[in-house]
Amino acid sequence: MATWLLRRLAAALAIVFAVVTLSFIAIHLAPGTPFLPGDERAVDPAVVAALRARFGLDQPLPVQFVRYLGALGHGDLGLSFSQRRPVAQALADAVPNTLLLAGTALAVDLLLGLTLGTYQASRARRRVDAAIRAATLTLYSLPVFWLALVLLLVFGERLHWLPVGGIRDPVLSDSAPFAAHLADRLRHLILPALTLGVVGAAGTARYQRAAMLEALNQEFVRAARAKGLSERRVVWLHALRNALLPAITMVGLALPFLLTGAVLVETVFAWPGMGKLTADAIAARDYPVVTATALLASVLVVTGSALADLLYMAADPRVRAPDA
Amino acid sequence: MRIATWVFLLFLTLGATASSGGGRVDCAGDYCGTLLILGIGQPTSLLPPVTDQKLDSDIFDQIFLKLADIGPAGSTLGDSGFEPLLAQRWRWADPLTLVFSLDPRARWQDGRPVRARDVAFSFAAYTDSTVVSPYRASLRHIAAVVARDSLTVAFAFRDRYPEMFYDAVYHMRILPEHLLSAVPRSQWTTAAFGRAPVGDGPYRLVAWKEGESLELAADSTFFLGRPHIRRLIWRFATDFSAAVTQLVAGEADALQVLLSPTNVARARAAAQLALYPYSGTVYSYLGYNLRANGDSTRPHPLFGDPDVRRALILATDRAAMAQSVFAGTAKVPPAPIPQAWSWLWLPELTVPPYDTLQASRILERRGWRDTDGDGIRDHNGVRLSFHLMVPVTSGSRRMYARLIQEQLRAIGAEVVIDEVDAGAFSERSRAGTFDTAIQSWSADPSPSSGVAQLWETGGGSNYGHYADPAFDSLVERAVSAPDRAGAIDAWRRAFQTLNQDAPAIVLNAADNVAALHRRVTHVRIRPDAWAALIRTWRIAPDQLIDRDRAER
Repeated sequence: MATWLLRRLAAALAIVFAVVTLSFIAIHLAPGTPFLPGDERAVDPAVVAALRARFGLDQPLPVQFVRYLGALGHGDLGLSFSQRRPVAQALADAVPNTLLLAGTALAVDLLLGLTLGTYQASRARRRVDAAIRAATLTLYSLPVFWLALVLLLVFGERLHWLPVGGIRDPVLSDSAPFAAHLADRLRHLILPALTLGVVGAAGTARYQRAAMLEALNQEFVRAARAKGLSERRVVWLHALRNALLPAITMVGLALPFLLTGAVLVETVFAWPGMGKLTADAIAARDYPVVTATALLASVLVVTGSALADLLYMAADPRVRAPDA
Repeated sequence: MRIATWVFLLFLTLGATASSGGGRVDCAGDYCGTLLILGIGQPTSLLPPVTDQKLDSDIFDQIFLKLADIGPAGSTLGDSGFEPLLAQRWRWADPLTLVFSLDPRARWQDGRPVRARDVAFSFAAYTDSTVVSPYRASLRHIAAVVARDSLTVAFAFRDRYPEMFYDAVYHMRILPEHLLSAVPRSQWTTAAFGRAPVGDGPYRLVAWKEGESLELAADSTFFLGRPHIRRLIWRFATDFSAAVTQLVAGEADALQVLLSPTNVARARAAAQLALYPYSGTVYSYLGYNLRANGDSTRPHPLFGDPDVRRALILATDRAAMAQSVFAGTAKVPPAPIPQAWSWLWLPELTVPPYDTLQASRILERRGWRDTDGDGIRDHNGVRLSFHLMVPVTSGSRRMYARLIQEQLRAIGAEVVIDEVDAGAFSERSRAGTFDTAIQSWSADPSPSSGVAQLWETGGGSNYGHYADPAFDSLVERAVSAPDRAGAIDAWRRAFQTLNQDAPAIVLNAADNVAALHRRVTHVRIRPDAWAALIRTWRIAPDQLIDRDRAER
């Protein structure tokens, strides 16, 4: 087990290093330069050159990279060009918002996806199964940003049921009592979390249906039925428990999906999380923020994947590390 | 049906709970209300010398004062059109010395009085190369700023010109020496003061939630009179489209500019909004690269010839394009002049006509004929074909590119449109790796700096390498003319020269349209700084909505 963990850690470090290197090189080689005004005003090239020098961009790329790695080794992610503050502070503000959104979306994904998939399997090859299958396939095929825009236009702009963007009402939220503050936060969370969660749930439901169908054909299910247990009990208690193993893998796989999906959804809903931070940083050519978000995302994905493997091993004794 | 009912009830409950609010405040007299303003992007810093981003200056102009500011006429020549702010009055001690008397009532928000030393300190900071201030170049004509006593400060100029007063007051916000003198100038770019500023203006910073919003509260003791709106909150949107959606949905009160006719129509349809047109500071043109694409040592094979440039200008129906793209909110200027420089829209400067016949004649005369019958003219083996670069983020410029492509096809010129990312657009413009590009510029209140930067030989943003010593000399004459009439005359002749040289097809100068909630009254908007007069706007006590009553 220890060897497995060490090997896994080494692989994770290699992946993170590769991601940091690639993102550092890619963003520096991308056309465009930081420090240009957002609107189109004639800008003094001397000012841009001085700012580039101030932030070390006048050095050759390998020198910049070595310096970056050196600083990174000391836990310094650098200074944001566009926010003029430490990148770590920018991340500290954004990460909790993304975790809230991704966590809620994951809950929606699993709750809805597992329920639908299990229900489908218990009604396999009937009309309701076909209908849900068509619906989930359609949802799974939808681009996340398109669904986000449609939900925003329908529930925000047309019906005025929910806010069209942001994480809270900038005026009312702070002055409101706790219940109203919570309700306000929830109202702002619904659309982005549903967008991410529903698309994820469509995929989860399809996997879960297949896993459940396999479980329902196992000997132990036949034995449970032969003992006279109700069909509901057989499906939702015995079969479901055994069909949950693939869901653990799904959670591991859902993390990168949620993080990448969050870039689009956070941008559409002006949700101030890591996704929006990344999109804004790319547009502003804020190199340190872009590299830091890539670093953080790769760490989260690698950690998520490792956790999924550990959970899988804990849940299924047949799958264990070779030396365990 | 049952599910739909439950969902509706859930939304209703959440809505009711969320809007139940907390502490409520009513206003006293004319001093009330919360104005929720949409900002595009995020502020960089609120320390004025280190940033000239528009959003930053909209905000820090509420916190920091200038000595004086441009008046309603928008004139930058002389000092008669300016309104006092921190300076109570001023006088010319001699032709090169301007003396300001500060208002003794002015206070920093920490209670300390504003003194002449603060003005001298501010000048020293703005002109210190270690601060890397974008305003430094604009102060190059000022030799020194000296505090004569606690309330008197003198500006010594190097030379005499019509915009001496404008240069002295417009670019520089006065800073608190007692709070900033200990901060090393090389660290001002990222100084903590930029996120927690203490100013002397009508509003003070209350909260800045990164990525979300920024709140200012009115200073009830402000020496020039208490601001009427109690609280200003900027809410940050990703782009204009998202901002307009929030505005129309009633989640914000104000947006500085609606940009496109589609957005104007959306805002007009929202009953709670009123629209305020004001003169625009932006103009757009198709700039020719007079040097070969990517090789500035050789002339461009097509645009090195002024006759070809003129022919293409005549072949484009600029008025029809402006109407088509902007639906009446833009005009075709007689030269690269925004609407805000209305004093330069002179009758002697005329828009070149739309005349495809004349355009064809010029091209024929220069030897451009369709010899192989493919619909595109050629000359000495070179086809009349070129690339037109536009940023993919600009809807209006992409529309213009298609219209120009169609119109020039009619006279046998082929246009290949390159839609590129905004970063690539800027990079390729600066590197000169383009044939033509639709550029759009936001101008200062005065043409002095912008025209030189964009059109003078070697100008920092003269991406097309336009160079005419006669034009350069006329611009210099306009900038240094001893009086207003002389300046206007020199500008007229400079723009006539530029039109004759035809380095660009001038496409449009758009008007701006701001949208504000109808409960906001007494709205005055200055074209160069739309938020500059917010302290005089009002929200009537009988028009309050929930957000006006919420207490922090």
